[in-house]
Amino acid sequence: MRRTPVYIICSPRPQVGKTLVARLLCEFLVAHRGIVSAFDVNLNEPSLIDFHPRITETASIDDTFGQMELMDRLIHNDGLAKVIDLGFHAYDPFFKMCAEIGFVKEAERRGVDPVILFVADIDRTSVRAFDELRKLYPLTATIPIENEHVLRGELPATFRSIRRMRIAALQPFLKSYIGRQSFSFTEFLRSPQNKSSELYDWIRDSYMQLRELETNLDSHRP
Amino acid sequence: MAKPAVIVVGADKGGVGKTTVSRTVLDYFSANNVPIRAFDTESPRGTLKRFHPDITEIVDMTTTADQMKIFDTLNTSETSVTVIDVRAGLLSPALASLRDIGFLDAARQGQITFAVFHILGPSIASLDEIAETAGFMTGAKYFLVKNFINNTSFFEWDQATYNTYFHRIKDATEITIPKLNEMAYEQVEVASVPFLKFVANKGQHDEPTNNSFVLRGYVRHWLANVWSEFDRIKLTDIVGSKDARASNKLTGGEK
Repeated sequence: MRRTPVYIICSPRPQVGKTLVARLLCEFLVAHRGIVSAFDVNLNEPSLIDFHPRITETASIDDTFGQMELMDRLIHNDGLAKVIDLGFHAYDPFFKMCAEIGFVKEAERRGVDPVILFVADIDRTSVRAFDELRKLYPLTATIPIENEHVLRGELPATFRSIRRMRIAALQPFLKSYIGRQSFSFTEFLRSPQNKSSELYDWIRDSYMQLRELETNLDSHRP
Repeated sequence: MAKPAVIVVGADKGGVGKTTVSRTVLDYFSANNVPIRAFDTESPRGTLKRFHPDITEIVDMTTTADQMKIFDTLNTSETSVTVIDVRAGLLSPALASLRDIGFLDAARQGQITFAVFHILGPSIASLDEIAETAGFMTGAKYFLVKNFINNTSFFEWDQATYNTYFHRIKDATEITIPKLNEMAYEQVEVASVPFLKFVANKGQHDEPTNNSFVLRGYVRHWLANVWSEFDRIKLTDIVGSKDARASNKLTGGEK
């Protein structure tokens, strides 16, 4: 039976590019699978729902009711890929709740594959949080994302020792161009006149990395 | 044949979670394959019976007929463990009755295993209950249960005062029942099934149900914590069963 991926895009740090990764992933999954269901667990930050209101719902894990609304759907092996844009405020409560309710174990039992996309930063908080996740979920694919728009300096060794996804830095004007809410990565790729542009290559490279990631999930497991 | 064991769960105050603790004990033995029966003294309508109808009988412990029903069958019953959920206010009178019928003497002589789970409330009156109960505890395993399931805070207690009461009873052991998520607790109440069945997503007659995965997860995690307390006090050893520890059988947590 087909397994259902649940992508959790997270970082304990704000402003590291989680929503950019979530947008890329959502558009890639729509292009690749035709459909995706996304959840925006952000409190105050501009986030995924602003970019993809038709496929995204807001979710809250502040109370049990909100947790049920979100997690009871994530645990369904319905073949529908899911993406969670997890705001940094919700990072600790989310993983604490997952540990308490036994999400990863139950997911494994039901044919659901959680995939953690951890947007890396060079500070100690990120390194520690990443190590903890790997320890807590040894059988779950936990993939560091190296976002060059944000990172200054070399990634800590913890992240470098693992196969990671790299998001190359764009020219500032292109970065603000893709930051428009009406911008679509897939639409841009489909337009023939864009083929020789830097942005075209950037999107293509990101999609190829996502495709490779999806087909080689096993290699990302510790 | 194993020596019969009687576990009394009680408190003189109401609403401190006697039945909840009784339910966890029944689930624990059930998971450990220890044959068990229960008596619910909330006559005529018993809460414990609602959750464990197959193994629970409602009795009125103040009547001789029902006392006979419980204690005269200890040696003849197919089950070796009997749990009695004693109604609020009846703990001290029940223990006095047990003394009067010679049950406490039998326990002292080692013919019967006798354990008391005394559920403590947050008020200072609970400490006085300990003093009252202490007189009956020779020969019994005595467990003082701090029940946090409803987020009780034992604010009225001064620890030094508590210790003076606690140490009056030789070999008294403290057990802590942690808090359970309110909505999860409510859903189990609504479902009227044992905690174990709720976790297994089953209804009263073992039919599949559609309980929330989140709520089941909270119950599983909580129950594993409660059972680890029972493992700590070696509850199965106390009643003479050598089966594996039940909390290991629950898949609570991620590790």
